[in-house]
Amino acid sequence: MKRWQKVLLYLAVIYLVLLLGPVAGLDIPRILGAIAQSPESLIQQLLVGLVNGAIIAIIALGYTLVYGIIELINFAHGDLYMLGAFTSLTVMGAFGLQSGATLQTSIVPLLVALLLAAVVCAGLNILTERYAYRPLRNAPRLAPLISAIGMSFIFLNLGLFWGGLRSFFPIMGANAAAPKSFPDLLPRIDVLQALGIQTSIAFTIKDLVVLVVAVVLMVGLHLFVQYTRLGKAMRATAQNREAARIMGINVEQIIALTFLIGGALAGAAGLLVGLYNNTVVFTMGFTAGLRAFTAAVLGGIGNIIGAMLGGVLIGVLSALSDQYLSSRWTNAWVFAVLVVILVFRPGGLLGENVQEKV
Amino acid sequence: MTQQGQALKSGNILGAIAALTVLLFGGWSGAVIGWLLGTAAGLMACQGKKVATPKLGIRLGSKAGIALGVWVLVASLIQGVVLLPATGQSSLGLISALILGGIGWVVAILAGWLTGALQGLGPNRQRATAALLALTLIAFPLVDRLAETDWTATVIQILIFALLALGLNIVVGYAGLLDLGYAAFFAIGAYTTGFLSSPQINLEWNFWLVIWIAAGVAALAGVVLGAPTLRLRGDYLAIVTLGFGEIVPVVFRNLTDIRLYEPISQIIASLLGRPEWVICLLGCDRPFNLTGGEAGINPIGRPALPFIGTFQAGQYLPWYYLILCLVVFSAWIISRLRDSRLGRAWTAIREDELAASAMGINLVQTKLLAFAMGATFSGFAGAFYGAYISAIFPSVFDFSVSVIILCMVILGGLGNIIGVLLGCVIIMAADRLYLPQLAQVLKALLNNTVLPNISSPVLRDFLATSVDPLQMRLFLFGLTLVVMMIVRPEGLVPDSQRQAELYESEDESLAEARSQ
Amino acid sequence: MPLLEIHRLTKRFGGLVAVKQVDFTLEKGWIASLIGPNGAGKTTFFNMITGLYPPTSGRVVLENRDITGAPPHQLTALGIARTFQNIRLFGNMTALENILVGRHSRLQTGLIGTLLRFPAVQQEERQAKQQALHLLEFVGLGSRTAQELAKNLSYGDQRRLEIARALASEPKLLLLDEPTAGMNPNETAALTRFIQRIRAELQLTILLIEHDMKVVMGISDFVGVMEYGSKIAEGTPAAVQADSRVIEAYLGKEAP
Repeated sequence: MKRWQKVLLYLAVIYLVLLLGPVAGLDIPRILGAIAQSPESLIQQLLVGLVNGAIIAIIALGYTLVYGIIELINFAHGDLYMLGAFTSLTVMGAFGLQSGATLQTSIVPLLVALLLAAVVCAGLNILTERYAYRPLRNAPRLAPLISAIGMSFIFLNLGLFWGGLRSFFPIMGANAAAPKSFPDLLPRIDVLQALGIQTSIAFTIKDLVVLVVAVVLMVGLHLFVQYTRLGKAMRATAQNREAARIMGINVEQIIALTFLIGGALAGAAGLLVGLYNNTVVFTMGFTAGLRAFTAAVLGGIGNIIGAMLGGVLIGVLSALSDQYLSSRWTNAWVFAVLVVILVFRPGGLLGENVQEKV
Repeated sequence: MTQQGQALKSGNILGAIAALTVLLFGGWSGAVIGWLLGTAAGLMACQGKKVATPKLGIRLGSKAGIALGVWVLVASLIQGVVLLPATGQSSLGLISALILGGIGWVVAILAGWLTGALQGLGPNRQRATAALLALTLIAFPLVDRLAETDWTATVIQILIFALLALGLNIVVGYAGLLDLGYAAFFAIGAYTTGFLSSPQINLEWNFWLVIWIAAGVAALAGVVLGAPTLRLRGDYLAIVTLGFGEIVPVVFRNLTDIRLYEPISQIIASLLGRPEWVICLLGCDRPFNLTGGEAGINPIGRPALPFIGTFQAGQYLPWYYLILCLVVFSAWIISRLRDSRLGRAWTAIREDELAASAMGINLVQTKLLAFAMGATFSGFAGAFYGAYISAIFPSVFDFSVSVIILCMVILGGLGNIIGVLLGCVIIMAADRLYLPQLAQVLKALLNNTVLPNISSPVLRDFLATSVDPLQMRLFLFGLTLVVMMIVRPEGLVPDSQRQAELYESEDESLAEARSQ
Repeated sequence: MPLLEIHRLTKRFGGLVAVKQVDFTLEKGWIASLIGPNGAGKTTFFNMITGLYPPTSGRVVLENRDITGAPPHQLTALGIARTFQNIRLFGNMTALENILVGRHSRLQTGLIGTLLRFPAVQQEERQAKQQALHLLEFVGLGSRTAQELAKNLSYGDQRRLEIARALASEPKLLLLDEPTAGMNPNETAALTRFIQRIRAELQLTILLIEHDMKVVMGISDFVGVMEYGSKIAEGTPAAVQADSRVIEAYLGKEAP
């Protein structure tokens, strides 16, 4: 394409964005005005995005770990996270925890919930790997992907069924499909106010807990993968499965380990999101899964740091879209960003583009 | 297996389905299903074998028919005498049940007999079978009305999805491009129809024109949405198409208050401080509502024909024949496409994109054509759907629809028209016909027979709320996908010539091993 | 007029220069060979000629027409066809269909023609099929294999089918990437004769990458030698065999 044609094309695109953007909330003068009027709300949204992004990043890690090692988009991962939230909710119900319970009464149930959610999700993930993906190891790429979509539907339905078990778990409420309220346990004390900073920006203990847990999990995972023996085996398997096998690594075991870690992270994310949003619903896995996957791709799939970066970016993007564009259009904007990034950088922001060898 | 053995086996497999049908629906359903499945059993019994004479065909066909009929008869007895009282209805009595079942039996044998006979016709066999199938399809709604089974409405739904599955098969089965957002094109077809023939924007064009426009717009959308995905492979392509599948319903949901201003005039106006210079293009007085949001578009114009008049909501016959024509027409077109230069190019791309381009195939053009052709048929389906339901909502076109259509294509057999149609019938019949009916029967059974005998209130509450087959739809879909991938990745009716892309990588590694 | 002229062709992958400023001229009717150690950049060179990789710099000229960076399908239409080092047939298509795909660029039928199936379209399909069967015979596969899936053919037959598929596009220039790889001496000899026959009967120009020196020296009119991405020698087989740099590349430096 000649240079002037390119320029013309860009101009046309800009014109169209200016013309049609406002329909989907992208009204640039209005947005600039809103930001100028209250810069604090911009910072507020960035914070909200950061916290939401941290949760997305934890889920994204599950996608990226699995993709890194067997090049499979584990479609069921989002729904696994939903089951993690349901497990936590069930534990809360079993301990009879109510919103506003004190730290002393809620600490044990919380730890139990964390443990159980991680164990349940890790176990389910390993079982899924063993029975739905492993038999397809040598099948072409479409087969495991479709199998993963199938597992996602199975989990989704499991969530619906679980939500309907009010006879055994009264906390599930009357309607199986309805959102269920998750006990509000984390104090809403504002950290900035407590520190004596005068501002309208809200940043509560809740936000802090989510951020801290997310950072601890991610740093832990990073250290594990970088420095432990098993972590190195994981990286080796991701690089070249055959070579890893020849070097004496039990590849199937490493793959199972990857699913275990990814599942446990999804379980933890489930609990975290329950505590943070105080509501869980069986369909939450689909949207969250898509966003997390988008985040993983955004950062460069297979790349752990990339997943964290992508998660935060997606979180911030959604928060900004909610505030400044239009919350009704946020989903469309998130996917539009995914499409644009994949089209221009198929390897993601930190990933790399591998050319096929002929 | 011997020919006789195969005949028996076909009769028994289909017999089990027929028995389930009779148990759930009762009444004359035995006769109708005996007729339909008897024909199928006759075909299956003679399938893949050389049937030399009509006489041999008759022997095989009627054998399958007899086996099938036994299932129908037994099921009729159980349904009429045991199941009906257990669900709180009055028993049919042994004699009536026997008569109903007996008629089903006879019909099944006759159908098997006739089909078998046609299979032995030698060179005319294909034409005769086609004529028989055509007659069956044409007669079906009439028989259905006579027998009061009320299946025609569901069959129309099945045929709509058949159209969609055929279209998706071009993209996934032929060209090997995994599209997870196919429902988007369905939505685009339906909304195009909605815009052009409803009071929403005061256009009430003729359906016979609109359906072509809808197909054209869908095809165009196929090209537009397909273009950015051209460089992507496999999983990434799947995710981007999924993204489109999510964006399109959001767009239709939210295009309710459009107000467009010309941007250059806006910039000039704000620079010079003259707000009156802004040129307003659309929705100036009040925001323009294009799609009706969550409430959708309603009512949408219906087709009309001389002598028949406008198609009415509860009168299924004209709708049935219309969608039947669309499906047959599409299947015919697609079979032509497959056996052509274009069809070969699609398959070549599926098999090895790089080699295909080195053989002179224009990848961009050929892939876009696959997206466009695939979308065309969903455009037809969307137009028909819009007119048939006379209302469209964004929630109808979500991800699960895309996956259900994909399920059909995979279950039946990627790349095989007969297989895809079969997959569609199985999934849609199970989903729209059998599951709801099963839910009803189970509920009645629970309320009348099981629950009164259970003392534990917790268990009773659990059974009453959680035993609902309709709530297991997704589970069943998911299970179908997983099990099919593991047990029979090539589908129920694999394309004997091209066993889909599912084995390709194996070959590649083999070739590589050899070349070393 | 030479058929193919290549001027200072270069391909860079990141920091790696796979092909470095290579000049090459191919006269009409030649059988020419490209030799060199593994990793010398021969296949990359091929991939640039056939449009699979866009060159970083340099020019490719086919019959006085600059074709640098043109997409593969256009090059096929202009008369360049190739085979692959690790056979890349369409495994789940029949042998006949493979050849028909090879003929893609010589067929006209578009979407409308496909749907309406005019007599001319049917005629074209019939002719194409006949020609494909003919090609099967020509490469020695015979019509018995026509309906076999390509993946079910024996290794030697797959090699032959790939050549038939390439020939179906009626090329002026045929590029063969290690056609005798994995063959025993008998098969190799037969294939060598076959390559000569292709040139004789179809008046083609053939460029091959080959490791088997016997094949190269036996049938080539012209040999180019590559090492580390550069061309280090070219000329008649005899001249190349005598070239000290070539001997060095293959046997290592002689002790002084």
